[in-house]
Amino acid sequence: MPATQTNPLRVGLRQERVIAPQCLVIFGASGDLTHRKLIPALFELFRQRRLPSEFAVLGCARRPWSDDDFRNRMAEAMAGEVQQHQAAWQQFAACLFYEPVDLQQNDDVVRLGTRLEALDRLKATRGNRTFYLSVSPAFYGSGCRALAAAGLLRDPARSRVVIEKPFGTDYSSAEQLNRVVQSCGQEQQIFRIDHYLGKETVQNILVLRFANTIFEPIWNRNYIANVQITAAETVGVEERAGYYETSGALRDMVQNHLTQMLALTTMEAPGRFDPEAIRNEKAKVLQAARLAHEDEPWRCCVRGQYAAGGTPQRPVTGYRQEPGVNPNSTTETYVAMKLFIDNWRWQGVPFYLRTGKRLPKRLSEVVLTFREAPVHLFDAAGGSPTANQLVLRIQPDEGAGFVFDVKAPGSGMRSRPVDMHFSYDESFGEPSDEGYVRLLADAMLGDPTLFTRSDEVEAAWRLYTPLLELMEDAPWQLPVHPYEAGTWGPSAADNLLADDGLMWRRP
Amino acid sequence: MAPQLTLQAPLELPPQEVPDYLSRLWSDHLKEEAGAATFTLVVWEPSWLQQQLIRTGRIDGPISGLLNDTLLEAARQAASDLGLPASTAPTAPEVAWALGQQDGQHSADDLRGQFVDRAISAHQPRRLITLAPTLAADRPLETLVAAYCPLSDERSGGGDACGDVVVLRGGMGALQQGLAMLQPLIAAELPCWVWWNGSLDESPELLEALAVPPRRLVLDSSIGMPRRCLDLLVERIERGQAVNDLNWLRLRTWRESLAMVFDPPSRQSALAHVVQLDIDVEGQHPVKGLLLAAWIADRLGWHLQSSSWVEAGSSSEGRGILAEFQRSDGQSVQFRLMPVPVGVSKTHPGALVGMRLICAPADKPPLCVILCSESGGCMRLEAGGVASMELAEEVVPLPNESEEMEMARLLGGGHDSTNPLLAAAAGLAAKLLPS
Repeated sequence: MPATQTNPLRVGLRQERVIAPQCLVIFGASGDLTHRKLIPALFELFRQRRLPSEFAVLGCARRPWSDDDFRNRMAEAMAGEVQQHQAAWQQFAACLFYEPVDLQQNDDVVRLGTRLEALDRLKATRGNRTFYLSVSPAFYGSGCRALAAAGLLRDPARSRVVIEKPFGTDYSSAEQLNRVVQSCGQEQQIFRIDHYLGKETVQNILVLRFANTIFEPIWNRNYIANVQITAAETVGVEERAGYYETSGALRDMVQNHLTQMLALTTMEAPGRFDPEAIRNEKAKVLQAARLAHEDEPWRCCVRGQYAAGGTPQRPVTGYRQEPGVNPNSTTETYVAMKLFIDNWRWQGVPFYLRTGKRLPKRLSEVVLTFREAPVHLFDAAGGSPTANQLVLRIQPDEGAGFVFDVKAPGSGMRSRPVDMHFSYDESFGEPSDEGYVRLLADAMLGDPTLFTRSDEVEAAWRLYTPLLELMEDAPWQLPVHPYEAGTWGPSAADNLLADDGLMWRRP
Repeated sequence: MAPQLTLQAPLELPPQEVPDYLSRLWSDHLKEEAGAATFTLVVWEPSWLQQQLIRTGRIDGPISGLLNDTLLEAARQAASDLGLPASTAPTAPEVAWALGQQDGQHSADDLRGQFVDRAISAHQPRRLITLAPTLAADRPLETLVAAYCPLSDERSGGGDACGDVVVLRGGMGALQQGLAMLQPLIAAELPCWVWWNGSLDESPELLEALAVPPRRLVLDSSIGMPRRCLDLLVERIERGQAVNDLNWLRLRTWRESLAMVFDPPSRQSALAHVVQLDIDVEGQHPVKGLLLAAWIADRLGWHLQSSSWVEAGSSSEGRGILAEFQRSDGQSVQFRLMPVPVGVSKTHPGALVGMRLICAPADKPPLCVILCSESGGCMRLEAGGVASMELAEEVVPLPNESEEMEMARLLGGGHDSTNPLLAAAAGLAAKLLPS
C-alpha cells in the first residue's frame, strides 16, 4: 500500500508485542525468498524496534559463505533500503550470521547445533529458535526429521518451524507431510505460512465481519445471491517456469490463497479472538465446502493457458513460448470454478473462484452480490435493476466498496447504482506492513492465528481432489483453453457463470 | 479476569533458607518441569489503601494487593467522609493517609504476592518477588515461597514452563534488612522488572536500592507529588534505564483518538497550523495532561517558550498551567491545562476530562478537534465560538484494564529501553510544570 503522507501523531503509536530473545534460522538463505522478502521484513521489524536486542539471524545453505559474505550479499540485494537507513543497517547486519549447512548431512546438522549454542552465548538468545524452511518442498519432511533427530525441536516452548507453501501437492501428500512434521514436533510448533494471510486487507475481512453489527445479520444465504473471489495477475510465469510447470494455477493460487480468502469470508464467528478458535472455524467451513459437481467436476471448472497477446508495440509471449516451459505444456495458468458450502449459512449460494496470469489487471477481491429487491418499484436508469454488491478489495487500492441504488437526478423516479468507497490510503494515509513482516513477527511470537493448521491444509486439498484426480486421470475432460494474454481468461469461464444467468465482475 | 492462587500452599521459611530451598525445589521436586527462561518480576506492593480500608472496617479482607470495584467505591466514600475534594481519585495517596488518621483495629489475611493474575502468569514469569510492607512498622520479616505452574487452560497456547513466587512481608525496617537476600534471588541471565506499585513519594532509598539498572523500572507517575513524579521519570530516563510509566500507558486511548482524527491525509496539513491546545484534568494532578501536551508538542516540533501557573476561573478548581510554544514556522501556540471538578473521580489522579486542539490554516476554515472522556462532558471546551469552525469531536473510551493487565502488556512488549516517545514527552512535561 503506498504511503501518501505520514501522520506525525501516528509515529510509534502502535503497541506491539515484542518478540522474546530469538535466533531465526533460515534454511535456503542463498535463495531468492531470503533476500527479496525475509531479510527485508526482518530489517523492517528491526527499524520498528520490534525485535529484541538479543536477536540473531543464522542463514544456512549449502554455499560456503562466511558471515560477512552473507551480510554483504543481503546488503547488495537491498541496496536501496540500506542506503536509506545506513546506521540501522549497520546495527542490524551485526545480527546476521551464516553457517554452511546441508540438512541431509548429519555432520552438518550437528555442527549447526554447536553454532546455535555459540550464538545463544554470543547474543543471549536463550535457546529460543525459529527454523524457517525456505527450501525446496521436497525437503520439508527430511528437513524436519533432521532437526528433530538433532534434538533441535525438543522444547516446544522454545523451538518452532516455519514451512513455506506449497504444503504438499495433493491431499495424500499433504496428509503424509503432516504426519512427518507432527512426528518431529507438536502442532503448536509448526507454522505453515501463506503470505496472503499477512495482508492487512485479508485480515480486515475478519474485522469487517465481526466488529460491525450491520453485516453479520445479512451475511448468509437469505441475503447473499453469490460470491466471486478473484486473484488476477498481469505478469506471466517469469523466472518460475520450473516450479510452475509442476504446479499450475490450481496448486499455486487456489488451494492456498483463494481458499484462505474463501474461509475467512464464510467462516462462522469464533467464540473468541484466539488462534485455535479462529482456525477451528476456518477448518469447519472448508470441511463443508465442495465443488458444485463433485461427480462431474469438469462441469464446474475451467482451465486456461495464456497465449501470445499484447500490442504490436508491446507483444506478450504466450506461456508455451516462455523460457523453461514445455512447448506442449498443458499446465493451467488460469482456473475458474464453482463451489458450494453445505451448511446452514451458505446452502445453495454459489461461490465462484478465479485466478490467472496475464490478465488485464493485477487485483484480488471478494465480491458479495446480494439478492435483488423482491419488487422493482422504480425504472432502472441502466435498463435493469442492479443488485447490491459489497466489494472487499484485497489489492491494490486496498479497501471496500458498497454498490447500491439511489435516485438518479432529474424528473421521474429512476434508480441508478452508485459506489460508496472506503480506501485504506484515504483513511489512514499510512503504508501497511508487507505480509512477511507480520507473519515473521507472529511466528517468532508463537502466535499461529495467521498460519494454516494441519486440518485446514488437508481440508483445502480434499476440496480440490476431484479436480486433481481428473487432471491426472482424464485430462482431456478438463481441457486447457487458450486465452489471449491481457484478457480476462477463456470464454469458457464466462459460460460457467452464464449458465447461472450471471457474469464475472469486470473490475 | 480472576486472579489465580499458586498451586502450592506458600511455605514460610526463615529468610536465610530461601535461596537454598528454591535451588533444591528446582533440582529435586521440579526437575521434570521446564523452568521458564523469561524474566524476574519484583513488585513493591504496599497496598496502603487496601490495608487502611480493612483496618478501619470499611471493607473486608483479605489483603490481596489488587484493586477492585468494592475497594474503589469504599475509597471514594472514605474520601467524601473525610472531607477530601470530590475530585480526589480513590488511589490518591491522600486517601490512604487520611484513613491512617482514623481509628480501627480490624485485621485480615495478607495474601499479597500469593496471587498471580492470569494476565501476568500468561507471560510465565520465572520468579515473582513481592515486597509487602505492613502497617505495623515493627513487624519482623516473614518470607514465603511457593512454586507455580500454569493451569491446564493456559497450556493450550504454548509450552509449559513453571516459575516460583517469593514474598517478603514485614515492617519497613524489616524489609530494608531483607533487601540483602534479594540479589541472589534475581537471576543475572534473565531480565528483571521492578514494578513500583505505590507512591513515588515514599521510601526513595528503597526505590533506589530495588530499581538498579539494568533492571527495568515500571512506575506510575499519577501516584505521588507531580514534581517528584516527573523529576524521577526524567532522571531515570537520562540515566539510560528502561522506564515504563503506567500513567503514560493509560494515555494510549487519547493518543490513538487524536491520531485517528488526523489519519486522513486531507487533514494532516492542519497539524502544521495549530494555534491553541487546551486540556482539562480531574483534580490537582497535572502530570497526565502534561504528558499528553508534551507528546503533541514533541511530535509537532514545537519549542517551549514559557510556562506559568494561572488561577482558575469559577468553572475550575485550583490552579491551572498556562504555557506558550513556538511552532517551527515561528508562530505561537497557546497551551492551557485546567483542573476541573467532577462528580465521581476516576481511579487514578489527574485523569483527563477533555482536550481541544485548534488549527488555523491560512487558506482553509479553522479546524477544532475536541476529545471528551467517555465518563464526562466537555462543555467547557465546546464553548468559545468553536461551533463556527470545522468541528471534529470524538469520545475517548475509558481504558478498562486493571493494573495487572497494563503490567502484562508491558511484559509482553519487553523492550529493554525506554519508549522514545515517553522519553521525549517526560522531559518536556517536566519543563512544562512551573516551579
